[in-house]
Amino acid sequence: MFERFTTEARQTVVLAQDQARRLRHAHIGTEHLLLALAQQEGTASATVLAAHGLTPQVIIDAITAYVGPDDLDAEALSTLGIDLAAVRTTVEATFGPGALHRRSPGRRESVPSGHIPFTPRARKVLELSLREALALEHRSIADGHILLGLLREGDGLAAKVVYDRGLEPDGVREDITSALTG
Amino acid sequence: MADTVQVAAEASSRDPSVGLRAVRALRDLVERLEALQVDNARDQGWTWEQIAQQLGVTRQAVHKKYAGGRGLLRRKD
Repeated sequence: MFERFTTEARQTVVLAQDQARRLRHAHIGTEHLLLALAQQEGTASATVLAAHGLTPQVIIDAITAYVGPDDLDAEALSTLGIDLAAVRTTVEATFGPGALHRRSPGRRESVPSGHIPFTPRARKVLELSLREALALEHRSIADGHILLGLLREGDGLAAKVVYDRGLEPDGVREDITSALTG
Repeated sequence: MADTVQVAAEASSRDPSVGLRAVRALRDLVERLEALQVDNARDQGWTWEQIAQQLGVTRQAVHKKYAGGRGLLRRKD
């Protein structure tokens, strides 16, 4: 399927993986795809998303509010008088760098490295993007088609980000469709 | 790090979103430290019984939480 992706669409998948890793998430979900789309300045999808108030920072804030920052919340700890940086330094002095990182059960390493799998829903979104391209009689799958796929899927965290901002998915859909067909 | 006055003000915040977030952050930190120390204890040959005693929980509790799927550390004791 990826052979029909445009450069921007491929970049979306790559960036989604980077973002998942940066947020220390062990999967690539619809939310990471949405974030990756918003981050590619100048693309049709980033422009439409920004026009609806969905900038990368807004999306990151929304994601961390839903799933919790996978890394520790230094700001909240400071309200209790705990200096996370100091704790981290002390712990790492004994146990080595990254000792405080989250570890998933059954594995010793914590930070996802290498391949991070897509969630079934994110995979579905990529399939839907192909369908959206076909429906518009486009030969390749662009970033905009991925956005359409995200909106079509409608159940993931990406959709929740859109809904919770009070946005009408249909409005976003219309804008991206006209950008794709214009 | 905020200054002491500000810390005191925030820690005693009546705003649940501030207070609860702090509790959650603290719990996350405790979980990380516990996992780290349990690993360390196992690496040093401590039994689940000894670890549980130090943590003030039952052997079953600590075993259930940390023994699953840990190939290297799954040994009889």
